Amino acid sequence: MKASARLVVALDSHGNSVVRVLRSMTPLTLVPARRVGPVALVHLVSSVTAPLGGDSLCLTVEVGPGATLDLRGVAATLVLPGSSGEPSSSLVRFSVEGTVSYLPEPTVVTARANHTAVVEAELDGHAELRLREVLVLGRAREPAGSLSSSVRATRCGKPLLHQQLVVGDPSVDGSVSGLAGRRVVGSSLVLDGIERKADGGEWWSVVPLAAGGTLATALGDDVVTVTRVLDAI
Amino acid sequence: MFDVKGCVSLGANHGPDPHGHHHGVAPRIGIGGPVGSGKTALTAALCHALGSQLSLAVVTNDIYTTEDADFLRRAGVLDPSRIEAVQTGCCPHTAIRDDITANLDAVERLEHRFDDLDLVIIESGGDNLTAVFSRGLVDRQIFVVDVAGGDKVPRKGGPGVTTADLLVINKVDLAPHVGADMDVMISDAHRMRGELPVIAQSLVETPDAPEVAKWVLAGL
Amino acid sequence: MLTALILSDSRFPGGGHVHSGGLEEAAARGLVVDEPTLRSFLHGRLVTAGLLAAGFAAAAARGEDLSELDAELDARTPSPAQREASRAQGRGMLRAARRAWPSARLDALPRDPHQPLVIGVLAGDPFEAALTCAYLAVSGPASAAVRLLGLDPFGVNAIVAALPVEDVASRACAELPALGSPALDLLAEAHVRREGVRLFGS
Repeated sequence: MKASARLVVALDSHGNSVVRVLRSMTPLTLVPARRVGPVALVHLVSSVTAPLGGDSLCLTVEVGPGATLDLRGVAATLVLPGSSGEPSSSLVRFSVEGTVSYLPEPTVVTARANHTAVVEAELDGHAELRLREVLVLGRAREPAGSLSSSVRATRCGKPLLHQQLVVGDPSVDGSVSGLAGRRVVGSSLVLDGIERKADGGEWWSVVPLAAGGTLATALGDDVVTVTRVLDAI
Repeated sequence: MFDVKGCVSLGANHGPDPHGHHHGVAPRIGIGGPVGSGKTALTAALCHALGSQLSLAVVTNDIYTTEDADFLRRAGVLDPSRIEAVQTGCCPHTAIRDDITANLDAVERLEHRFDDLDLVIIESGGDNLTAVFSRGLVDRQIFVVDVAGGDKVPRKGGPGVTTADLLVINKVDLAPHVGADMDVMISDAHRMRGELPVIAQSLVETPDAPEVAKWVLAGL
Repeated sequence: MLTALILSDSRFPGGGHVHSGGLEEAAARGLVVDEPTLRSFLHGRLVTAGLLAAGFAAAAARGEDLSELDAELDARTPSPAQREASRAQGRGMLRAARRAWPSARLDALPRDPHQPLVIGVLAGDPFEAALTCAYLAVSGPASAAVRLLGLDPFGVNAIVAALPVEDVASRACAELPALGSPALDLLAEAHVRREGVRLFGS
């Protein structure tokens, strides 16, 4: 199925971040929390099993000056193959003049899935973004399907981070130059004014990006180990 | 080889970089020679002897680690910021002769850090008798052999022994202990090198390498 | 074509011999120990980092804006150690190129340019630039493996010869890639932090 959803958050005259536009479309259901404050909390709930082969999902998010949005998932996303073997795709597009935190739960790439996920974020001069992605290659004892996941973040049109990760080719997933045979790969992008020093260990690192911002990356055999690194920044 | 301002007089293969990189702002001397012949000790001695009168910097090319650079830093003969270590990708002779990029990068970093350098010493990693410095990297080079390596080394020749601007025979104090004949070594060296100078020395007896220091100063 | 041959010659004096492309760190951890593990390492490197670099070389050869390409490649190279390795090799290649092939386009490169951009400017033809870049992405680490692990040079050469370098170069000409390799980034970052024995710059 094809679906597009839209979310607009702005700052009101009382200093509260409020949802101005909320348009869900099955299977993309947006559920705002019933509270008023400086941070608008919205959960993204997949109302049916999605994404499924053949799906094309698009979510557009706008956050106005001074407003803060905390967009979260509620459960792990299972990327599943469709009966016809068609590929699926999802696009999340952020336009940020305030602050956004997008912390979805892990995405599990099940066998024979064929999914393309794209996240695009355009920030203005003072906007802040926190973006996390954790990919799990297959359910327990299951080979991973194919997934291409791209992130492109720009500030005033200038590129800050552009990374595509492709999983599902065993000759690359198993290579020391690919995912080194690890089942879980995670990254956390933080675009704010804070400079963080490079740090790292055997299969994790925190690095300053060339044009500003910080990226944490971790490879591991379980979600807990990987998210522990990502939560550190 | 150097003019009065300390600028290199450029040879045919030197050509000034047309894009603003000042090739050879400070004269560069290479110190090469086999493993254990005393290159680092000579470098330290020269830093000690010349450091107070010249603005000096050193580039080290270790085979395995940054040990030579660490040795110089620990020896306290030079401010640590005046020492750069380069990685040679397992091939010290390549880094000083065939592809001098990493060393040129290190020299440029030092020249950028200190705009008043009078001399840059580039110490090779220990290598064999065929290893010499590229003329694109250094203006003059010293080849260091030692008595303990055997008194036949000068006779064996090789580009290092025969073509270096100065041959230093180190550790002459050890000659009686290792059965080396100094007269043979020195006469062989002169025979192989023609007019080029040879200095035999012991850093135990003369820790500041005065003769080598004098040779270095005479060329500036 | 001659330029591409010279640039991919291991005797080209551009500083490539002191870079292992993560191989030294992988070897130090015992992750690459023999021909099968090297083959896997090189294949993974070719289709990720190699494709990315080749794509930028092709774009530079097509005449695209060099400063914009430099910024785009920075954005695709999150690891500072990888950026420094790419720029060090670009700087080295540029130093040699200014003597051999001076041109206005070479002068238009940003300071300490990423190496693929220099290759693109010099090679001129997008496919030749991509092929050169893709080949260098594996030939350097392969040579490092011979030096570090003492592997049979004939075996290593056969591995390199069987890699799909031309396929990757063709793909690299089609679009500007953004492919990352998390493991290579992590190896590069760990390498610069490694204490003690370190023979390669990356």
